[in-house]
Amino acid sequence: MIPDRIIEPNTLTTDGRRAEVEVRIPWYRALPGSCIAGAVLRIDGVPAAEDSLRWTMNGRTFRFEELVDEIGEWWFPTDSAVLSGEVPVKAGDAEHRVDVDLKLYIPYIVIGENEVLHIEEHDTKTMKAVAA
Amino acid sequence: MSAELGTPIQGVTLYSFTRAFHAREYDLEALIRKVAADGYGPGLEVIGFSSFRGFPEIDDRFAGWFRDLVDEVGLVTTSLAVNADIGIHRDRLLTQDELIEYMRRQIVAAAKLGFPIARVQISLTPDSMEQLAPIAEEHGVTLALEVHADQYASHPRILALRDRYEQVGSPFLGFTADWGATVTGFAPSLLEAYRRRGASEELLAKVVDLWNGFYQQGPPADQAEHGQRFGAFIGLAAQNGRPDLGIDFAINGTGLFGPARVDDWLEIMPWIRHVHGKFFGIDEQGEEPSVPVRDLIALLVQNGYTGAVSSEYEGWHWNHWQSPFDIIAGEQAVQRSAAEAAGSRMITDGAEARRILDAHLAQPVRG
Repeated sequence: MIPDRIIEPNTLTTDGRRAEVEVRIPWYRALPGSCIAGAVLRIDGVPAAEDSLRWTMNGRTFRFEELVDEIGEWWFPTDSAVLSGEVPVKAGDAEHRVDVDLKLYIPYIVIGENEVLHIEEHDTKTMKAVAA
Repeated sequence: MSAELGTPIQGVTLYSFTRAFHAREYDLEALIRKVAADGYGPGLEVIGFSSFRGFPEIDDRFAGWFRDLVDEVGLVTTSLAVNADIGIHRDRLLTQDELIEYMRRQIVAAAKLGFPIARVQISLTPDSMEQLAPIAEEHGVTLALEVHADQYASHPRILALRDRYEQVGSPFLGFTADWGATVTGFAPSLLEAYRRRGASEELLAKVVDLWNGFYQQGPPADQAEHGQRFGAFIGLAAQNGRPDLGIDFAINGTGLFGPARVDDWLEIMPWIRHVHGKFFGIDEQGEEPSVPVRDLIALLVQNGYTGAVSSEYEGWHWNHWQSPFDIIAGEQAVQRSAAEAAGSRMITDGAEARRILDAHLAQPVRG
């Protein structure tokens, strides 16, 4: 697993209300949207409101509940997705601590009746915020 | 033992270079060129969902580009690793019909890309393999189900598959033998990674003792015993003040380092169509300290194996301080040395590898 690369360095942007950061898959193979089960975005310890979170990949933006049935769009191992949400941060020279939690289903590892393995990974990086 | 000594084909799976590909240091073309130029081939194995964007949909233009590239650099496509994503829908598992269709598309992709083997996984039952056999035959792709820890050749689930293969009688059904089923020690490079995460020497010694005890007992008889061992690693971490390491100890201690003996492979040897030369590191003496590579190669040679061995370096999960390229070169040197010591050799020439692989896959199963 590759959790150390979830957050792309120096990709934090903000419009003052929403913040976004590029994220990489911590797994060796592509997964469809249906296997991207949830995320948490925190800036300086403040989490973005859950219902404000959006996931953008392959040029399309989803709410997490919309990803549940998405088997057409896949997160390829060398692509960045974008995780965004409402969390205040000021653009400028100050360093910000960014935390991302990611929950993924691994669709080929069956661990019980009607149950597949899920993994929960976390990454933390520090970076400046750039105005969107 | 076979009358004729085997000549395994040297090769590699691009999975070994996961961190380099994921880091965008090498794209697919650059990685394939490097495999050829640095002599990791001639056998080339690829994971469909890792390396091919949009897999399993492969258009003619891409397939042509890929096959031309492989030919140009003198490599030989061995196995396309495919996945049975039974849990792709969040709320339910695929139905049997959906699963067969899901696998059919990947078998078609393997044929289109020029892979004579598709590596499939344990989530496919004997019934599924029987249903897939005519599809495999139609496309000329051998299905090699991977025997991977925590299973092993003489595990009841594997023997059930073997018995079904014998009944069905299709030369397109076989196994991929993953050396991680027959490991002799907890990998030192993983212990070093835990050390770097602050694990005490005392705790690491207990992890090694626990694994060695399981090795003495042999592989778990069934999934219940596997679960008990999994739990024992978690318990050990918790009792020693590092509950955060428990799942990691358990997943690796049971799922990567399988404690079956090397000769366990004889249970399925006639059906082994492909080999994953799973390994975790190379020590200062140039040897693999926890996978008995020399014994495994000797077993293949003595039993007339002429398929490919894909070096499958798994240490990239935790070893961020050494180059995978040097480590894989080191492991392949051990394989070549072992084949010579067994009175044979590894095939490293592309044209010879292609000939031998064709014969290996066409030959009828010797039950």
